[in-house]
Amino acid sequence: MFGDTIALTARSLRKWIRNPAAVLPGLFTSLFYLALFGSSFNPTSLIPSNIAGFQLSPPQLAQIKASILSQTFGGASTYITYLTAGIICLILVFNMAFGGIDLVLDRQLGYLNTLLTSPITRASIFFSGVAQNMVKALSLAVLTFMIALILPNGLILGRGFGVVDLVGAFAAFTLFAFALSCAFTALAFMVKSIDSLVAIANFVTFPLIFMSDALFPASGFPSWLSAVSNVNPVTKTIEVARLLMVNGTLTASQAATVSWDFAYLVAFAVVLAAVGYLAAKRVLKAD
Amino acid sequence: MTAIIEAKNLTKVYQSTTKAVDSISFAVEKGETFGFLGPNGAGKTTTIKMLTTLSTITAGRATVAGHDVSKDPSAVRRSIGIVPQELTADDELKGIENLRLTAKLHHVPDEEVRKKAPELLKLVDLEEAADRRVRSYSGGMRRRLQLAMGLIHTPEVLFLDEPTLGLDIQTRRTMWDYLKRLNQNEGLTVFMTTHYLEEADLLCDRVAIIDHGSIKAIDTPAHMKQALGGDVLTIGVNDGVDLSGFFSSIPDVHEVARSGHVYKMKLPKPENALPTIVEGITKRGLKVTEISFTKPSLDEVFLEVVGKTMRDEEEGGGESWIANVNRERMK
Repeated sequence: MFGDTIALTARSLRKWIRNPAAVLPGLFTSLFYLALFGSSFNPTSLIPSNIAGFQLSPPQLAQIKASILSQTFGGASTYITYLTAGIICLILVFNMAFGGIDLVLDRQLGYLNTLLTSPITRASIFFSGVAQNMVKALSLAVLTFMIALILPNGLILGRGFGVVDLVGAFAAFTLFAFALSCAFTALAFMVKSIDSLVAIANFVTFPLIFMSDALFPASGFPSWLSAVSNVNPVTKTIEVARLLMVNGTLTASQAATVSWDFAYLVAFAVVLAAVGYLAAKRVLKAD
Repeated sequence: MTAIIEAKNLTKVYQSTTKAVDSISFAVEKGETFGFLGPNGAGKTTTIKMLTTLSTITAGRATVAGHDVSKDPSAVRRSIGIVPQELTADDELKGIENLRLTAKLHHVPDEEVRKKAPELLKLVDLEEAADRRVRSYSGGMRRRLQLAMGLIHTPEVLFLDEPTLGLDIQTRRTMWDYLKRLNQNEGLTVFMTTHYLEEADLLCDRVAIIDHGSIKAIDTPAHMKQALGGDVLTIGVNDGVDLSGFFSSIPDVHEVARSGHVYKMKLPKPENALPTIVEGITKRGLKVTEISFTKPSLDEVFLEVVGKTMRDEEEGGGESWIANVNRERMK
């Protein structure tokens, strides 16, 4: 099964790499979100130098901005530092959701039938779908991280941030990507048309992102939205990555939060993998 | 002879009411090229789907290469090669890459692929195009590549679902040459569906005519044509006198029909009947004004068995966007 999964994944990745039209949009999305959204929507730049008649000096203004970032944006040095983990999650969510289009096309063009009549397991068909989407999305996640690092006023990593923290942050992204990929791969095998997949993807992706603290802190959310955000796997993934990126060395309570989030993400991944696999297996059996 | 494909009362019912295949039985011998002939929606593709494990069997039983299709689908999949009617080779991959991927999915050892891939590419005349991306292939080249992909793992039975669908007549003839060569050189058992009567006539040792899910006739193309009553003679004379009685009295003449001065009749043994016919006309002081022979084709067989021509059946069919995509790939 492993060899078949690798062969099918390699097929998809080869097609992806050879088609710049498939790779470049993902890259530009990262760039636009970080460079344009990250700069233009920086909430600290909205603070006026005159508040209720009090004229703030430039050092006072800078201090207030730093306080807001520190207290509301989890101690991030810049808004892009806060935003990076959120944008990486956004890239993962959108790539997973729409990555299934290739699988729907495989069905419509008859390729899936040729796989189903070859002596490979249904599991290898499912997991190759999962793996190809993960590799594509995680490649873009790495590129997004690098773009954030080189942008002016971009991602400023916390003191003490090292390889272990980098691995930790990307382990959270990988778990999240795996879970989502299982769900959307199964969905791609279940729907009959690209239109249906796109409709469902749009219906799922936007709430997932906007009901999390991917772009703004949850402290500004109404209580119901904050409650939803607290259990949103996007929030959990971002929390791990953000704590590691912003702080580097973690305090004991931060380390405990990261551990709980990891446990949550592992459970989330196991459940979606099981549900996704069973659903796909059902769809992929002979009609 | 041993049956390598055997179907007994094979039935497929969709959504508990639509009977796509209705209790069909047939056997295909080892080394035989067997054709399933019928219009769109007749049940050809459903039958091939059941035999290749893509569709479950509602009732009846089928074995392929000695394996029960329902009980041991994995063994069936290991024994068969399929060339689907859709063009499934990957555009972004090279011809050789498509071939290697198919081999990998059929667990063919690398060493064997290294030996067999060049042989197959030579067989289908794609040696020079092997390192080009399929995107640049013509429709005929894609079909030939798919044929090679269906053979890379040395299957016992090759299923061809409409192997020349959408190809122009010249490319279709080239494809027929490859298929004939394949059957002659490799002695492979081929089960093919087609709605091109000429294709079935030329390639198949035996054909089954299927319509509305039932097999209406099954035999060799030669026997089927013979069963129609022989060659059709059209003969014209220079006088309006009725010669129907005379023609009908000749032992090897059947189904005489008159239209003015022109008569049509079936001659199972033209070499026996023709001299008597011409002699009878001359003896009566008449002259033959026209004479022509038509050998019966599968078109006539189809008309006789199904009650309409294949062309009548084809008219009015809509096309999906996928059909358009495939047509684009054919260019």
